[in-house]
Amino acid sequence: MKLSHRETEGVIILEPKGKIMGGPDATMLHDLLHEFIDQNKKKVVIDLSKVEWMNSTGLGILISGLTTLRNNGGELKLAGVTEKIESLLTITKLITVFDNYDNVDEAVKSFK
Amino acid sequence: MDKPETSGDIIRIPSETRYIADVDEFIESRLRDAGLNNSIIADLAISVTEIVNNAILHGNGADANKIVQVRLTVTPERIEVRVKDQGRGFDPDKIPDPLAEANLLNVVGRGLLIVRSLMDSVDFNFSDSGTEIVIAKSINK
Repeated sequence: MKLSHRETEGVIILEPKGKIMGGPDATMLHDLLHEFIDQNKKKVVIDLSKVEWMNSTGLGILISGLTTLRNNGGELKLAGVTEKIESLLTITKLITVFDNYDNVDEAVKSFK
Repeated sequence: MDKPETSGDIIRIPSETRYIADVDEFIESRLRDAGLNNSIIADLAISVTEIVNNAILHGNGADANKIVQVRLTVTPERIEVRVKDQGRGFDPDKIPDPLAEANLLNVVGRGLLIVRSLMDSVDFNFSDSGTEIVIAKSINK
């Protein structure tokens, strides 16, 4: 998995690319997310449009980020979720937990 | 054994999560060669990496000296994967329900739910030599 990030309009955009299946790559995403949280960044969007699939390790990282942000007055939103990941969010009922947008622009706008 | 080994339809890895990607590549390349579609390949990859992750961390306690073995069988009608660890086993019925309101935001605990949803069957074999989980999915080409 490759991982990039950028900031726009005060929102951190994380851009994983590939698969999130556990192991060092998953740790990289978790650590970067929590690095921004430690910097008191409160608005985070994870762009999942280039993530082919993830397993429960990936879902756990999303949950961990969400709860930590919410506990600190922030929010984590998802953008560009593929059909496969949407089916996993539905299976696990996490579709009811996350705010999910078609693309990053809409997710960023939702913070206003 | 200090790195993954493959032999025919079997891959064996030391119990380190950095080798999950090797199992994924092993499974996906063989399923692509069998002409399966991307959705089925993804379902198998998600399920196998899920079970291998559990085998490494829970079955073998992340002991790099212990082995996880994965055997893939593809027939025209069915895909079957057997994942074996050297652990003492567990009671699948005792895993807390990840769909319960109180557990929804747990970081872990939803792996078996995902595998059971994506696969047609999930079976457990516990023995003194370890735990084997067998998953299978019918193929509708």
